[in-house]
Amino acid sequence: MHKKILLIFIYVGVLLTLGCDNVYYDERLHIEVKRLDSDLENRWSTSGVVVNSIAVNGAAEKADLSTGELISYVIGEYPIYSSADFSRAVKKAMDDDNNMLLYLKNKQPLRIATRKSGDKVGIVVEGDDPVRIKNIIAGTPAANSKNIQIGDIVEKIVDERKIQGLKDYQKTIDEFATQNASVTLRTTELIGVKIAAVTALGNLGDARAVDALIDILKNNRDLALRKAAARSLERLVALSELSDLFQHFQQENVNQLPADMLDRSQLESAEILGLLLVDRTANTATLEAPFGIQFRHRSEALHQKVNEGKLVELTEQYIQKDTEPDQEIRRACLSILGVLRPTSAIDPLSKVLRDKDEIPGIRFQAGLGLSHIGEPAADALIAVFNEADATAKDIAASALGNIGGTVARDFLINALDTTDDPAIQLTLVDAIAKIGDESSLSALDRQRQRFQEDDSAIRIFIDEVFSRIRTPQE
Amino acid sequence: MKRYITGVFLLVGIAFLIVGCGNQNEHLAKGKELIKSDKRRKEERAVHEFKLAIEQEKDNAEAHYLLGFYDSQDFYELNEPEWNQASIAQRGQHMFKAYQQKPREYLEILVFDTLRDDDVDVQNAALEALTLVYQKGERKLLLNQLEKAIKSKDNRDRHDAQWVMANIGRSDPNTMVPILVELLEHKQMGTRLNAVKALGEIGSEEAIPVLAALIDSGSARRVRDREVAEVRQLAVAALGKIGGKAVPELVKITQNKGSSLRVDAIRALSSLGDEKAVQPLLDALNEKSSREIVVELGN
Repeated sequence: MHKKILLIFIYVGVLLTLGCDNVYYDERLHIEVKRLDSDLENRWSTSGVVVNSIAVNGAAEKADLSTGELISYVIGEYPIYSSADFSRAVKKAMDDDNNMLLYLKNKQPLRIATRKSGDKVGIVVEGDDPVRIKNIIAGTPAANSKNIQIGDIVEKIVDERKIQGLKDYQKTIDEFATQNASVTLRTTELIGVKIAAVTALGNLGDARAVDALIDILKNNRDLALRKAAARSLERLVALSELSDLFQHFQQENVNQLPADMLDRSQLESAEILGLLLVDRTANTATLEAPFGIQFRHRSEALHQKVNEGKLVELTEQYIQKDTEPDQEIRRACLSILGVLRPTSAIDPLSKVLRDKDEIPGIRFQAGLGLSHIGEPAADALIAVFNEADATAKDIAASALGNIGGTVARDFLINALDTTDDPAIQLTLVDAIAKIGDESSLSALDRQRQRFQEDDSAIRIFIDEVFSRIRTPQE
Repeated sequence: MKRYITGVFLLVGIAFLIVGCGNQNEHLAKGKELIKSDKRRKEERAVHEFKLAIEQEKDNAEAHYLLGFYDSQDFYELNEPEWNQASIAQRGQHMFKAYQQKPREYLEILVFDTLRDDDVDVQNAALEALTLVYQKGERKLLLNQLEKAIKSKDNRDRHDAQWVMANIGRSDPNTMVPILVELLEHKQMGTRLNAVKALGEIGSEEAIPVLAALIDSGSARRVRDREVAEVRQLAVAALGKIGGKAVPELVKITQNKGSSLRVDAIRALSSLGDEKAVQPLLDALNEKSSREIVVELGN
């Protein structure tokens, strides 16, 4: 008698422990699944189970399921060979979620949903193999769908079950597995995980991230993730440019150096990126903990990786509108080229600059990129000025002014003689003034004579240029 | 004879009391009156009265407290003596003097009233005073009050207590961390939440194992062993603040694929800049995207 009671206790005990266990071994798929942590339900209203482990050579392994995947739906099929099959399948599929997919021969699958459980779907069928639609009842979901016609052959009904937890999973798999040769699992990727990882990799400044980010930009289909990857690459490139600065600290193995022995503009960039604190009165530059200190060990490797060539090749493609439809990504790529300044980018950048359908801001950024490349880009800019539309002329003239040098200067001076468009004349004057050597100034002086009679904006502007130049001398 | 002596003592005592009260009341009462009024620059004038009150009676608790509460550097010219005396540290000193006269009364006021004031300077002065109590006063009494506040039903009390405990804990983690760790078992969620926050602010590596266990409890077998999501989320942020030896724990959290806290852990790692975070993050990028996968059951 006592033994019996004890046995019952043990039995109940075992049942209870099983009931609130957080893993379940599924003998049909040969996987162990795990309950989600409650935070996930509260935060992203996600439901399902996570694959904890997969048995070697089991059904799931053969199907290439991975551990860590989150199963949020289990999808089963009911093949329809008889009218009885049909009514049984509808009943089962509509149970729970009042929702099913109807597959009719030679038609797209149709989703049929009723408002509440117990409502009629509204389809009457006849015959065995094939089962045909005999009647559609007015006022039902089936009647609202224009794609269902009398005489259509019903092939199968598909039931997508949302998985709420372990028990739900167990029940659903058991049910589907007894009548199907296969089940389909729909997995959900956690929104935000990869975006957070991509953003973090941009911050960490590690060379190993470059290839992975390039891969995402090229091959991933999720736009938000690609944008994040472009931003992270942009940041890595900006970080890599500071390699020289960080090498000073690394070589001396210190975290603080006198500010005046370091490059001023690099110091400013590092300050903006939050890696360094500059105290001008005490003349110190101190690496910020923890990131600045960590980064000095990594900067050299990152610089090499970024300048390996892959990134240039990628961004030269992805600044083009026909390759990359998203403007944020195009901008990020332009900014990367603006920093890396490869001469191979001259043609792709000119192409963007010439593109009449491109956003003016992006064309401007392409012009800026060309002026960063400097004198090697002068010929391309001259060609753009001669051949492209007014916007491109304007940007090209200004870029040539930034580049300077005799080729650019002589071209600009000559262009000012031959151009009639007043807006472009102004840009040309500004560009020539920026070069500001003797020939430039005498050319502008000559133009002043030419526009002497005129009360045009151009003469006023030239006067202004001269007064600006003379004031500091006097 | 005896009766006569007693009588004299009594008389003298009463006389002192009357004189004492009269002196105290004069400036202190005037100052308090001013505060209640709607006169122009009333605080500035009241502060002047409180100073006079202290000159007359240097141990007047209320005058010290009110001076600490209302004095402000805005009243004076930069760097003049009175400007220096109105610093947060000096104001805290005055509040501490009030405590020294009447410990229990002013400890309660400081913890439950002063900290709650809207003025950040007043809050900081109270923090200064409470830190002095911790260093020089009755530490036990203070800790009791702080525990009472962090266990309070009122969220503002809990938050204020958390702030003070975090600040004191930074200079003396060995005392504060065990107290906060014990509070993680408290039945009220808001108390546990604030204890977690304070542990993050203190930044002591001693707290790492308990915080890690708390985060991990989300996968506990029994529902009652699972800490609520908000507290666990804050615990991840706390590990991020602690940094250093917390990095491996954070990496572990990024690998728990059944939890949303992986995102919090990734963000924490992102600002810590530790090289150990790189490979796990690259692994996360290789995870499968959402998809449908057909499993043949072979039956």
